[in-house]
Amino acid sequence: MGTLLEVRDIHTFIGQFHILQGVSLEVPEGSITALLGRNGAGKTTTLKSILGLTPPREGRVLFAGEEIQGRRAYEIAAMGIGYVPENRAIFVNLTVEENLRIAERRRGDLKRRADFIFTLFPDLKRLYRLPGGQLSGGQQQMLAIARALVPENRLLLIDEPSEGLAPILIQELMEAIRRLSAEVTILLVDQNFQMTSRLADRYFLIDDGRTIRSGMMADLLKEPEVIRRYLGAVV
Amino acid sequence: MKRYRATFVFVLIVGSMVGLGYGLFGPQKATAAVLSGLTLAALYFLLGAGLSLIFGLMDVLNFAHGILFMIGAYIGYTIFGNPRLILNTAPLFLALAAGATVGGLLAQRIPDPTPRRAGSVARYLRYLLLLLAVAVAVWGVRGFPLRPLVAFEPTTAGGAVPTALAQEPIPRMLVRLVQLVLAGLLLGPVLAYWKQEGQRTSPWRPVALGAGLAALAVLLLLGRDVLERFLLGLSVDVRFLLALVTGAATGAALGVLLETSLIRPFYGRVVTQIVLTLGLMFVGAELVKFIWGKEGRPPMAVPSLFAESCRSPNLIAWLTERCSSIDVLGRAFPTYRLFIIAVGLVILIGVALLLKYSRLGMIVRAGVQDSAMVEALGINVRRVFTTVFALGSALAALGGVVAAPFVGVYPEMGGIFQLQAFIAVVIGGMGSYPGTAAGALVLGLARALGDTLVTTGIALPGMEQALRASPAVARASTVLIMAIVLLVRPSGIFGRKI
Ligand SMILES: Nc1ncnc2c1ncn2[C@@H]1O[C@H](COP(=O)(O)OP(=O)(O)OP(=O)(O)O)[C@@H](O)[C@H]1O
Ligand SMILES: [Mg+2]
Repeated sequence: MGTLLEVRDIHTFIGQFHILQGVSLEVPEGSITALLGRNGAGKTTTLKSILGLTPPREGRVLFAGEEIQGRRAYEIAAMGIGYVPENRAIFVNLTVEENLRIAERRRGDLKRRADFIFTLFPDLKRLYRLPGGQLSGGQQQMLAIARALVPENRLLLIDEPSEGLAPILIQELMEAIRRLSAEVTILLVDQNFQMTSRLADRYFLIDDGRTIRSGMMADLLKEPEVIRRYLGAVV
Repeated sequence: MKRYRATFVFVLIVGSMVGLGYGLFGPQKATAAVLSGLTLAALYFLLGAGLSLIFGLMDVLNFAHGILFMIGAYIGYTIFGNPRLILNTAPLFLALAAGATVGGLLAQRIPDPTPRRAGSVARYLRYLLLLLAVAVAVWGVRGFPLRPLVAFEPTTAGGAVPTALAQEPIPRMLVRLVQLVLAGLLLGPVLAYWKQEGQRTSPWRPVALGAGLAALAVLLLLGRDVLERFLLGLSVDVRFLLALVTGAATGAALGVLLETSLIRPFYGRVVTQIVLTLGLMFVGAELVKFIWGKEGRPPMAVPSLFAESCRSPNLIAWLTERCSSIDVLGRAFPTYRLFIIAVGLVILIGVALLLKYSRLGMIVRAGVQDSAMVEALGINVRRVFTTVFALGSALAALGGVVAAPFVGVYPEMGGIFQLQAFIAVVIGGMGSYPGTAAGALVLGLARALGDTLVTTGIALPGMEQALRASPAVARASTVLIMAIVLLVRPSGIFGRKI
């Protein structure tokens, strides 16, 4: 199992603010890796920096061995990275179908993947012709993930998928992500430590824009002190 | 729900305006006013559609949009009536563009003057290059016989251009082309720096494009006499069609140039953009005055379908009689204006279908909401921006050509129509496509009814003469209607709440 994504000591500025001050991480192919950190630690900015939406000013990002920092976001995404952003960013004026179709990189992507998507999220079939704006939060989350599955991505960046979901839906979501991970490598950000700790094999912990710890999730679970201190969660 | 309310408000406004018109002026004059209003609405729409799409997708208030309308009108007018001017000047512009395209490749050789290294040589090198480019360009066009080329008398049918107008000999023109290619080569790096591109793009595309442009320039030049004879030998209808196509194509090309060189570096900097495009508006008007003269020109000749001087009783009869006017409740209405309305309708529907059913349209609708997410899906949003800019510019230029047989061409037309189009877009709701159509209609009707108020006035009981409004009222009517609409719906009829 090789390393699919490698982030080496990136520094990202938003306007004048030095938000990321040395984030490093590695995502092995075929697994779920968690990116942990408290509110405002810089998790979202890290994902956006990988994708080139907030390009890092220093440091390197390697995807499948190729340097991608400094490339335009669309080029990076087209290399096979799917993005499920924290606010879901569903296009409210587009139907569910259009929200999926717009993610096609080649003609017929959606057709090829439709079965897979509908077995994962059967609800979407029923909502196919509805505008994205009329979906509930949970449905929008499913759609956001489904959208990232339309082209054959090698890596998914998933940001706060459980935010605002009812516990029962979180169960469903976890199941979906687990099944997904058989197909695609995932870098997962979520405040819900219960969820991430059960899904992820490895973790990277960032605080104040820096990577401060990393390792196997199983080992982190043995350190309740760290968890409490940096994540405010109780195991 | 909200949508229905907007539609309701729209119908209410239009209904009350039309109702007021019929009440005040009677069916005959009111119908004429409504048709005139539709004509104006079509033109406002053609201009406003681009403004609205560009604002919706890119958050750019393009105050140079009217320029494209005007240049479209002038180019169409010239292709139609005096192709010699185009055949002699187009090669010069093409040569400059060819040079700039290839010159853009040199940009990589010039170090990047980032703000942190302000004051570096590179910074001054660019200004030096720009100065040099301008100097060489001036050298290239010095003494070009522009005045005699422009001074033509359009006849009613167009085409009968005196052949005695000066043309420079081909060798002299070829020298000019070389000089302009040189100027372009110098200009290229300056523009490419602002574009902030050209890093990993293959060098062959610009070279091929540049060579193509240069070849086209030489071909046009060598074939200028043959082409002129050919063009003037075509029927009025074909030449009119050619004017439409050339005008729109020029608009699209200028749109691409404008977006990539001047708009793109300043996305997100609203004030800079406004100042820049507003400045461009003045530059464009001066350029038009420089090339075509300060004086405007009378309306362009119309295609044969609208040319016979007679009045057809109805639409069916008109198709065979080809009369210049048609009977509407006992009054004559120019048939060409019906054509303007038809063009407006066709474009309205065409763009609506494009937005609804094409992939580009889907991307535009998504991009209006969140262009970063569209980019994150692997879509080159910048290219979509350029495409939409080109499309909007082409529509504006098309509007200009269509307007030329109606209002003629004059250097102020860009500013005047742009202002109206902006008002239409604001009335309809910034960035909303149906809103733009609605706003254009409301504004066109308001203007036409205001005009009728001036020409006929209102007959009040007990008064000898009808009460007439001054012409200022007609002009004020558009602003008045905007004020009323914005009081009721602050973000426009179809606008989203801000
Ligand atoms: N546009 C911005 N302007 C200024 N500061 C910003 C901006 N965006 C983010 N920040 C700051 O950058 C830091 C990191 O933000 P980021 O969204 O990456 O954190 P996060 O770890 O995803 O937090 P959360 O768990 O709340 O989503 C925060 O302190 C935030 O205040
Ligand atoms: Mg976040």
